[in-house]
Amino acid sequence: MKKLTLTLSLKGEGRVRVKRLRDYVMADFSVVGHSVYRKDAAQKATGQVLHVGNIEMSGMLHVAVLRSPYPHAQITRIDKARAQALDGVAAVLTGADVAAMPGVDPYYGPAFRDQPILAVDRVRHIGEPVVAVAAADRRLAEDALQLVEIEYEPLPPVLDVLEAVKPESPVLHPKLRAAGTFADLAHVRAGQSSNVCYHFKLRKGDVEKAFAEADRVFEDTFRSPPAQHVPMEPHITLAYLDESQRINVWSATQTPSYVRTELSAIFGLPMNRIRIRVPYLGGGYGAKLYAKLEPLVTALALITRQPVRYALTREEEFVTITKHGVVAKLKTAVKGGAITARKCEVYWDTGAYAEIGPRIVHKSGYTSAGPYRMPNVWIDGYCVYTNKPPAGAFRGFGVPQVIWAYDSQMDIIARALGADPVEFRLRHALDEGEAFATGTPVRAFGLKPAISRAAEAIGWSKPKTASSGAKARGRGIASGVKAVLTPSISGAIVTMSADGSVNILSSTVEMGQGAETMMAQIVAEELGVAFDQVHIVQPDTDITPYDTITAGSRSTYHMGNAVRMAAAKIKSELAAVVAAKLEVNPEDLVAQGRRIFVRGSPERGMTIGEAFLAKFGSLGTTLTGEAICQTTAIPMDPETGQSEKCTEYWFPSATAVELEVDTETGQVDILKFFAVGDAGTAINPKHCEQQLLGSAITHLGLTLFEEMVFEEGRLLNGSLLDYQIPSIKDMPKEFRSIVVQVPHESGPFGAKGIGETGALTVSAAIANAIEDAVGIRIRDLPITPERILSHLAARREKEAHRKSS
Amino acid sequence: MTIPVFELLRPKTLAEASELLLKHGDDARLIAGGTTLVILMKQRTVYYPYLIDLQGISGLDHITADGEGLRIGAMATQRAVETSLLVRRSFPALADAFGKIGNVRVRTTATVGGNLAHADYRLDPPPVLLILGADLVLSSPKQTRTVPIKDFYRGLYETALEPGEILAEVRVPPAPEGSRTLYLKYSSLSANDWPCLGVAALLKGNAKRCDELRLGVGGLAEKPLLIEGLELARNETITDSLLDEIARLVDEQISPISDLRGSEWYKREMARVFVKRAICALAEEDPHL
Ligand SMILES: Cc1cc2nc3c(=O)[nH]c(=O)nc-3n(C[C@H](O)[C@H](O)[C@H](O)COP(=O)(O)OP(=O)(O)OC[C@H]3O[C@@H](n4cnc5c(N)ncnc54)[C@H](O)[C@@H]3O)c2cc1C
Repeated sequence: MKKLTLTLSLKGEGRVRVKRLRDYVMADFSVVGHSVYRKDAAQKATGQVLHVGNIEMSGMLHVAVLRSPYPHAQITRIDKARAQALDGVAAVLTGADVAAMPGVDPYYGPAFRDQPILAVDRVRHIGEPVVAVAAADRRLAEDALQLVEIEYEPLPPVLDVLEAVKPESPVLHPKLRAAGTFADLAHVRAGQSSNVCYHFKLRKGDVEKAFAEADRVFEDTFRSPPAQHVPMEPHITLAYLDESQRINVWSATQTPSYVRTELSAIFGLPMNRIRIRVPYLGGGYGAKLYAKLEPLVTALALITRQPVRYALTREEEFVTITKHGVVAKLKTAVKGGAITARKCEVYWDTGAYAEIGPRIVHKSGYTSAGPYRMPNVWIDGYCVYTNKPPAGAFRGFGVPQVIWAYDSQMDIIARALGADPVEFRLRHALDEGEAFATGTPVRAFGLKPAISRAAEAIGWSKPKTASSGAKARGRGIASGVKAVLTPSISGAIVTMSADGSVNILSSTVEMGQGAETMMAQIVAEELGVAFDQVHIVQPDTDITPYDTITAGSRSTYHMGNAVRMAAAKIKSELAAVVAAKLEVNPEDLVAQGRRIFVRGSPERGMTIGEAFLAKFGSLGTTLTGEAICQTTAIPMDPETGQSEKCTEYWFPSATAVELEVDTETGQVDILKFFAVGDAGTAINPKHCEQQLLGSAITHLGLTLFEEMVFEEGRLLNGSLLDYQIPSIKDMPKEFRSIVVQVPHESGPFGAKGIGETGALTVSAAIANAIEDAVGIRIRDLPITPERILSHLAARREKEAHRKSS
Repeated sequence: MTIPVFELLRPKTLAEASELLLKHGDDARLIAGGTTLVILMKQRTVYYPYLIDLQGISGLDHITADGEGLRIGAMATQRAVETSLLVRRSFPALADAFGKIGNVRVRTTATVGGNLAHADYRLDPPPVLLILGADLVLSSPKQTRTVPIKDFYRGLYETALEPGEILAEVRVPPAPEGSRTLYLKYSSLSANDWPCLGVAALLKGNAKRCDELRLGVGGLAEKPLLIEGLELARNETITDSLLDEIARLVDEQISPISDLRGSEWYKREMARVFVKRAICALAEEDPHL
């Protein structure tokens, strides 16, 4: 193997900036920047948490669903009479029944209304809901399902994403209806003659000319398979009609506001006739975005006029929502040691229904060439229907799949050129203010510091420990970025009572990521009250304002800004009172330690209680502030993908690993792992570190063994007995995270977000380290021991062949 | 994921349990820890109107030893075997194999009998019991018979149990004087997973001179196998070429099923690697060398 020489100095300008920021955080703030305990820690540790599954209502019905055994088929007959006759069965519902409900749209979906609440005429994936039963208990409902008779006429299934795009392939959706949720999808009329439901294009410079003039051209195809989110709590929804016959829904969803809009569209009801409430989630990871069980459960509640609850089993979870399988073809030109062009052809397997696929192909697709300097870029991203369970958002929103491709190839190129992989990345990494492939200048872009910190942590410039026996050691690094979803909106209301206690009304969902703690820290800081004085009112569309989504690492920035601005309004009202009393300029007042006082002279001021009394002359009064954080983007040119502002900000990520490959078994043992991410200001440093590690663990499993294995459209490992996720025994020996803090000028206290950053660069870093260890390049995920061993065996055979001939 | 209505029968004696099995035939099934059976019934892959619970029968969960060896009752939990000082002292590889099953929640509930009778091709304990020459005591109203474990497994999920028969006890004879045993479990996906394969080895002697070698493997055929023909190693020095010869012997006798944890090709490769590793580990471990 070629020896790599290291020429870079790790003390780049990025580190200086990091230091400066740390000083600023610590010096100025009393709650923000401190690793306070989670708001929900005590509740969760003592089992006091409310989940949808804990809510019982009298007369509540339970749901079971009969699902398609075929990947693609015509439904020719459904006989539900025997099921309906079973004692205790309240309703047996088919797609035709839903379609017959007056004023009801039987189809839903965030991008296209292509997904039936229950299959109508046709099924398009194994596990698709066909008949639903609501009964007095779950067992009865399942018993009833066994009495339903369905006849199918199988149709040829479309199972491979590259086959699906061929003109001769059967078409899953001859007609498509845009959902109207996203302005730039409104014009999309694709799909009629093909399975491509969305095509993203980016064109910058002249790639063909660059390929013609290149010293070397690299072509590689990378694959990553569909996979599962595996939140500890499976999907669950409870719906009932309240005393004013309004639809009430308790649901484990990451999108309460969206669910309300979707139910209003499906059932043709005014938004205020629908109330969505969300207690704590047992994890989401993107699985619980947009409408899932809510349309079906609501339909059943409307029909039975009884409370109805549906809790998915783990097995049903597997056929409900998945991570996109991706085939990415990359072609890269190099001239004079620098990358001059990259062409990316990326096929996204979105399964039987588009779900949020088109958004992923657009919002993540534009980063397919990487955060590197290259004058010519060409990207084609195809969102493709196949007869598999629908694919949707998954922690990282598609970006891990494209980084898997481009940062594996970065290493391939660096090695081929004899360049050091770290130096090669740093040399190409975009600098502050430089234009991304979309033409958008990057801002608050801690990519270089992230790469440098990762390299430094792994000891890149020092020799690695020697391999011994059958074990070969290697080190690898990878970097990449994700852009935050833009535009989006977060609204918040903050109320303060005369005793200084505060309520935050926000539709941000707490799913384990620590959003409640973040909001409380920001508001406590802004109003100068103690962290414990702040209470979070959980999402309830009757009282908490609109929020686009709890996803995409966006809540700290968007909701953080909204709650901060709302709190600032209260602060300025109080400051006005104090200023009038003390005859000082309100601008000179600060809120700290539950008092409002003149900056620098704490004795000149009032307690919050005194200020309230001064303003209202009465006890028990409240002040309310409301604010909306709305980010905007300049729509991309549909032909070239160019936009002066395609995103509000970026999440730079780097991972460095040292591992050992057992050359006899192919097994990988990760010895050191550093997850590095630029969070902007860390509102809660401990939480940022944990988010980096948590998302890294998810992708550790996805890199090494997670995969939904299909055979003829049938899922072979659709339960946790066979689908493996990382256990405590799979953790790297040394496992750390490093939070880089390059503040964003308009983030709350400079914060951006960190929920997905640790996930982004894991796979490529591991593959790169494996090549470093044993000299083989894996281009397909997951990197199982068998895959490594078969590469090693193939190489051995090739060498033997070469020697003999 | 619910189980249709069934009746739970609670016999007080083995004989009573057998009678119930005979009476209800295919409509009844024994339930021990329930860890496997309950999952299958919840998935509605299998259904039995009668479940015959073995928990109420006393004297089935013993772990004892005497001059004739070790006796483990079918209802002893896997965790009890794993942590038994008696087992750990006399048959450390057996305690180890039970201790490597799934996870601690499964092992605390699942039983020895449930594991062995389930006859999955990848079970961890059978390879060790095979090299130790264990006997299984099968009880029925007519007779109590003893079957060597190598004759117990017939095929995929198939055992020698006749209608009405219940696995009552496992008997492990004393291991040959001066021999050492080892169990290697190899999981190819998550470290917590079922095995891709398991190799149990017994060696008497050392690297310079092998007095006796036994090998048992799991996950490499439709049933656990005791490797035959290992006499060829007797009185031999353990060299690379001997190891190759043994690996060849193993390769001839196994017929791996391609599954999610490895293709046939991979399992054959791993059989070679882990058989060699097990023998080398035992050979090197010899305190007299
Ligand atoms: C998550 C998970 C992981 C696992 N991983 C492993 C692993 O890594 N390695 C491994 O070896 N095993 C593994 N197992 C299998 C585990 O050991 C089984 O669950 C166990 O073998 C069944 O024991 P039980 O007592 O629960 O039996 P039950 O589920 O009660 O019964 C299992 C079967 O045996 C029959 N049966 C039970 N007792 C008797 C008896 N005395 N006589 C005759 N028939 C009887 C029953 O009728 C039934 O058919 C795993 C299981 C689970 C659930």
